[in-house]
Amino acid sequence: MSASDVLERLDLKYREDTLKVRVRDGVELYYESTGDGPVVTTLNNFFMTTPTWRVLTDDLANDHRVISYDLAGHGQSTHPETYPSWAQHAADAIALLDALQVEKTYLVSTSISTVLARDIALTYPDRVAGIVLAGPALGPKGMRRHRQIQRAWLLTLENHGMAALYNHLYPEVFGADMNEELGTPGFLGLRESFLALSTKEDLANGLNLALTGETSPELLKQIQCPALVVIGDDDILLSNTGARELAEHFPKGGYEIMPGAGHLPFLDDAMGFQAIVRKFVAEAEAGA
Amino acid sequence: MVEARARIRALLLDMFGPDSFVTELADTVSLREGGVSSAALVSLLVAMEDEFGFEWQDDVAPEALRSISSLAGHVASLPA
Repeated sequence: MSASDVLERLDLKYREDTLKVRVRDGVELYYESTGDGPVVTTLNNFFMTTPTWRVLTDDLANDHRVISYDLAGHGQSTHPETYPSWAQHAADAIALLDALQVEKTYLVSTSISTVLARDIALTYPDRVAGIVLAGPALGPKGMRRHRQIQRAWLLTLENHGMAALYNHLYPEVFGADMNEELGTPGFLGLRESFLALSTKEDLANGLNLALTGETSPELLKQIQCPALVVIGDDDILLSNTGARELAEHFPKGGYEIMPGAGHLPFLDDAMGFQAIVRKFVAEAEAGA
Repeated sequence: MVEARARIRALLLDMFGPDSFVTELADTVSLREGGVSSAALVSLLVAMEDEFGFEWQDDVAPEALRSISSLAGHVASLPA
């Protein structure tokens, strides 16, 4: 499924029978749960919402239970007065699993939410069967480069607004192949989605949080569950060598390179990405 | 402008059918709120390139894509 196919099938509407779970005082999370089998929970980066995942996980949901949810402070979930910390986001995810009676899950994370996947795996190791880090914000030697990029995005957002942020991040996030394939109409259509998905305040909160938290790659050595780094070979934020070195930090780490894909490789090749996740889960289940 | 609005509406009717929500869609209403998805917007933009003989540019303002009326305004602003 190419980027054009994904865009054609992208449905950003929330379900009318809104599903929400209370995870702590005053905070409810919107979620969707589809399919049966090993549980795969998606973790949004700050630019994604739950509906975006449908077209990216529909094949996986044929033989897995896929849970997607909006982080607190984003989408249809509660926007608490104080934006959550990383630890609160992690605790929210566990509270959601508790409410859905999920004992253990695989986490599929993307970009900055790879930090959240790391933190959940470190803090709640008994609840995590494995983690997939797609286009990770984590680096093999640290996170300085990602922090600089996040800070630049934040400055663009604060000084020039949402459309300017989109212009800024589009060529950094999407690979050259996808950029050429979608052309200007695709660029403009995705911009329309981008502007509809989030508010400036939500994104600023997320980007500010992205500038905080632990950055040491040494933490990854403590993660005992299987971990898979997935990058596109046109991800300008992490090289193929960097992906291999990052994977080597995990006691049970591996990596996959998706040809021609960018920082969000599941958009370039949704079926290919799901096949990678399916194989990872199957191997982890076989070794469990 | 009037003619451009009618031609854009005709493109939407081609995409969604003669009995669709497009018949009730006011010229100034947000296309998204009216029921035009991002994918449909992309198709509309491509169809407009063929219909009006121009190519979209990356720097077009988001407001230009908001409604039938604003799209027609963009067409009208193009050099002859």
